[in-house]
Amino acid sequence: MIEFDGLLAALSAHEVAFIVVGGAAAIAHGSVRLTQDLDIVYDRSAANLDRLVAALASYKPYLRGVPEGLPFRWDRETLARGLNFTLITSLGAIDLLGEISGGGGYNDLLPEAIELQVFQARCLCLSLDQLIRTKRACGRPKDLEAVAELEAIREEQA
Amino acid sequence: MVQRSYPPDPDPVVEAFKKDIDRTLIRENLKLSVEERFRQAMALARFADEMRRAGREARARKS
Repeated sequence: MIEFDGLLAALSAHEVAFIVVGGAAAIAHGSVRLTQDLDIVYDRSAANLDRLVAALASYKPYLRGVPEGLPFRWDRETLARGLNFTLITSLGAIDLLGEISGGGGYNDLLPEAIELQVFQARCLCLSLDQLIRTKRACGRPKDLEAVAELEAIREEQA
Repeated sequence: MVQRSYPPDPDPVVEAFKKDIDRTLIRENLKLSVEERFRQAMALARFADEMRRAGREARARKS
């Protein structure tokens, strides 16, 4: 089960620089589709990696979908060596993405991102247009189905 | 050089999916705050988990 409130509160409390993307961003914009994880694009600076490690440490992050018992150290060095991490935590699944198709990294996405005030925290989220662009760029059937709903949301808001 | 326009031309696959979108659900969702949308999504995820658990149990009983 996914606890969006707990994950967003933990990240915000530690002042992690991140942007909500993917299905959770779609929910923020009004999507009715079910999503099982929180996808974020995170700033890759060393200071932010430290904040990210601190934010999730108490929720036992571990690699999702790997054989049980595989050694995994949750620290800045591990994050610095990789880019994208699919994790399970005691608050649910979270994907940490260094960059995304059609959008790039944190600094590329930042100018157009919108601010959300949610669960007594502030966080950044892709704008509806950014979200549609990134979903189109992924191009899988499920992404195009999501694009259809997001475009319908945009039409309803017009 | 390939020129890309935005918004892009309508994608026939997206347009086909769009015909099946239930806009009444979207309209109801747009009346909610962002926080209410997240709370609704978490409730839906809990419901989905419970249905999966019940389905697993039912299949186990049958076999």
